[in-house]
Amino acid sequence: MSDIAIAGGRVARRGSASADAVDSWQRPDTRRVLQLCLAAIWLLDGVLQYQSFMFSKGFGQMLAGTAPGNPGAIASPITWDARLVEHHAVLLNSIFATIQVLLALGIAFRPTVRVALAASIAWALGVWWFGEGLGEVLTPAASPVNGAPGAVIIYALLAVLLWPSDRDAATVPFPAARAAGAQVARALWLVLWGSLVYFALLPGNRAPQALNGMIAGMASGEPGWLAALDNHAAAVLAHQGLAASIVLAVVLALIAVGVYLPRPAARAMVVLAIVVAAVIWVFGEAFGAILAGGATDPNSGLLLILLAAAYWPTRAAVTAVAPAQTAAQPAGGAEGATA
Amino acid sequence: MMTPSWILDILAALMLLVAAASAGRLVAARTWAGSSGEADIDVAHLLMGIAMAGMLVASLTTLPNDAWDVIFALTTAWFGWRVYREAGRQGSRVLADGHHMPHLVHSAAMLYMFVALSTPAMAGSGGGGMGGMGGGSGMAMQTLNAPVVAFIFVLWLSAYVVLDLDRLSGPGHAHGSYFFAGHSLAGATAGVGSASLAAVSAARTGTGTSGVTAPDEATDGGHPAAGDGVAAGSRPAPGSAFLLSPKVAAGCRIAMGVTMAFMLVIMI
Repeated sequence: MSDIAIAGGRVARRGSASADAVDSWQRPDTRRVLQLCLAAIWLLDGVLQYQSFMFSKGFGQMLAGTAPGNPGAIASPITWDARLVEHHAVLLNSIFATIQVLLALGIAFRPTVRVALAASIAWALGVWWFGEGLGEVLTPAASPVNGAPGAVIIYALLAVLLWPSDRDAATVPFPAARAAGAQVARALWLVLWGSLVYFALLPGNRAPQALNGMIAGMASGEPGWLAALDNHAAAVLAHQGLAASIVLAVVLALIAVGVYLPRPAARAMVVLAIVVAAVIWVFGEAFGAILAGGATDPNSGLLLILLAAAYWPTRAAVTAVAPAQTAAQPAGGAEGATA
Repeated sequence: MMTPSWILDILAALMLLVAAASAGRLVAARTWAGSSGEADIDVAHLLMGIAMAGMLVASLTTLPNDAWDVIFALTTAWFGWRVYREAGRQGSRVLADGHHMPHLVHSAAMLYMFVALSTPAMAGSGGGGMGGMGGGSGMAMQTLNAPVVAFIFVLWLSAYVVLDLDRLSGPGHAHGSYFFAGHSLAGATAGVGSASLAAVSAARTGTGTSGVTAPDEATDGGHPAAGDGVAAGSRPAPGSAFLLSPKVAAGCRIAMGVTMAFMLVIMI
């Protein structure tokens, strides 16, 4: 498009207005960037839901597979829902997929961001129960390596933490604290990563071949290079289940308490969290098995990376200690400038 | 089990709408302003819309795959060159904020889709076209080679979709591509209207805002030939103003981005 103005009944064009529009576009602050990342992941999730497999009875059967191991009160509704989806797969899955795409578009579109985030929390909680069997957290099969406590609950957590509130970015220690406050945000981080410590130490995950079997099982159907990576990682962990679980639990515990540490150490722990999440996403989850086809979401690794980014300590932590410096900063300074 | 055909039909119709809007933008820009400043983008959208409609619904196939290979290789090279030039001015910022980068990604994704179709599907389509993703008469669903490339494209396209939506709804959007200063335009879109106000405001205050051309500046500066052929006092019809508004351009990009991501995912 060209830049055209009608002035005094005449038309003129000047350069590329779209390029000018880009120049004039205000770069979003850190929280908005994180919201957009969340929207992009919801879009990926929604598009994945349109895969052919999801319109088959197999999708309902997959949902039913999350019921076993859960208490009856949790499992019964899952079974009922799975049967319903099995019988009306095309209609219901079309609705599911469209809702997820709309959530993505709603979060990305500024006027609807609150509505979409609120809806995403409700949707995520519903899917966590009926679609993921509460992430299998009540079953012995839960493991941080295979997606516990459920990818979709992290969507909800992110929606809460990235809720557009009025807290000044310059007064919070990390972007996730803007909505709920630093104490609540830290507590949520501690609970999430602390739960991963617990899952890592479950008997099923301490067994000698537990991690080996879990990772080797992800290789099936994946492209050659990814299958080779998974198989290699599985071979390294063969018969090392106990040691690997303990090491993983220690690392996860460090991450869990990392947000309470001074800023340099907190940054190091956030980096560690991103690395661990990336390793889980690649080796344990094989990118959510998207490349193998039939994945409903990118699984928890990608979302844990995004969550960790939301806890990246900003200079605000320092300025909070030194109020004089804070006062010297211009009011309403962009968060991006302090990140 | 295939993706329900009605979903493919809806998306194909959406892509034809994008193609029609792009064609309309080309015509409107030429009629009103003498030429379209960035016709390449509208032409690319037109071609992509037609190509994707054919990929989604077999009966809408227009050209053989080889022809589309060449077309999208050319558009990819063209936008690659535009991005290269842009990078000379903006540096690495062009990756996130570059004006032509999304079009390069769209073109490359189209090229990839046509080139990376797996052989059995190509045979099934008879070599004349992609034959539609619904599979036509019971043929196996098409799949893509090198699915990790498809995944990277999906992530990239998703990122551009949400960025486009953010820009569309953000404060910077008022400084749109086509705007009108000194005239109110009944029936113009909200984006155009707000841009008009911004331009008038800039003219009155004498403050220059990036992307907003004050009337005098617009008339005297820039490319004088741009206004040639447009009669004094002429105004675009409301329909043309709507077509040429930034919202339509962004809407086309968003629709294509979502549809392209959908197609890539279901062919992984």
